[in-house]
Amino acid sequence: MPDRYTNQLSAYLDDELDSASRARLTAHLRTCPECTGLLADLRAIVAVAPAYSGREPSRELWPEIEARLGEAEVIAIGGARPPSPASVRRFGWRELIAASIVMAAVGGGAVYLALGGRSGPDARLAVSPGAPPAVTTPSPSGSRNVAFAEREYDSAVRDLEQVLEAGRSRLDTATVRSVEESLQKIDAAIAEARAAIQRDPSNGYLNRQIAANMRRKLNLLRVATNAIAART
Amino acid sequence: MTPAEIDRADVTLAAAGDHAAFERLYHRHVARVHSLARWLLDPGDAEDAVQEVFIRVWQKLHTFAGQSAFGTWLHRVAVNLFLRRRQTSSQDRKRQISDEGLMLAATGVAERPDLRVALEGAVDKLPAGAREVFVLHDMEGYKHEEIARMLEVDPGTSRSQLHRARLLLRQHLAT
Repeated sequence: MPDRYTNQLSAYLDDELDSASRARLTAHLRTCPECTGLLADLRAIVAVAPAYSGREPSRELWPEIEARLGEAEVIAIGGARPPSPASVRRFGWRELIAASIVMAAVGGGAVYLALGGRSGPDARLAVSPGAPPAVTTPSPSGSRNVAFAEREYDSAVRDLEQVLEAGRSRLDTATVRSVEESLQKIDAAIAEARAAIQRDPSNGYLNRQIAANMRRKLNLLRVATNAIAART
Repeated sequence: MTPAEIDRADVTLAAAGDHAAFERLYHRHVARVHSLARWLLDPGDAEDAVQEVFIRVWQKLHTFAGQSAFGTWLHRVAVNLFLRRRQTSSQDRKRQISDEGLMLAATGVAERPDLRVALEGAVDKLPAGAREVFVLHDMEGYKHEEIARMLEVDPGTSRSQLHRARLLLRQHLAT
């Protein structure tokens, strides 16, 4: 039968009783088998609860998720709605790289401002796989911006690589190996695309690959150096 | 390698755009995220919400600094998203339940060898209000003050719902 102590058992278990109440309940438990049994059951339930294994969805969700990962990389300037043709400015690969650097450094809102678009929480820059960006002739001021952004990119990568080199001993071996293998793959992909684009400067696919891989390299370096900082 | 180290290596690859690494993370964690969705949302909304969680996590991977386990971070993202999603839906979640009929006699629940597995089925049977507090407190490790803010209830209500949930679970597990 419930007694006046029954409703205190969860608080007792969670160590939320003041010392006087706890002492009273502890004394009560020595003489009440019902409360002692109830407490043992509650303790067992609380002990196993965090280790739940979960139930798989009734259908495979990964293909739909993977399809939407591509969307997340898509870059057009706009929010949830597809941008109208008139509102979309298209970019050459140098400008995409510049935008990627700014995005990596300061986030999508600033990209929006930098490119003269509207800013907002959904604002982001992405390369649309369905709409290859036209290669444009940069204006003189655009060329200066791109050159500046390329220097910033190179500088950011160099700084992050130095942090990674200095702190690699703080990461476990598997992570270091993963990072190094990925950086090699990304560098190889960038070099390959750059060589190819010399032969085909208007190739939109190559433009997007270079921009995406440069962004990936920055992201990878940032994740690795964040992990080092977390262990410092 | 421990599961946490395997996750960390895959997070690093996924943050660099590796879909295969992210798929491995998905398969290792989807069952728990899906159960969280079923327990905190209407069941019919769960699978769509799970997809949204993994898309969000993909977009935010570069912000994961590794101070906690990936699973812990993933669950925080999932819980926040599910609760925001609830706010925009018209779900009428009953929070008040009765203590009447609760069995308090000895049950031997603590001795059940299959307790962990059986518990998940028993959580399904809890009333929504008690289930939410139990899931957030005992399964996910939130404090009552945090739960009170998240569910917009009084901390005392969170505490009493948790106690009711535990008693109801004990009852379900004994029958």
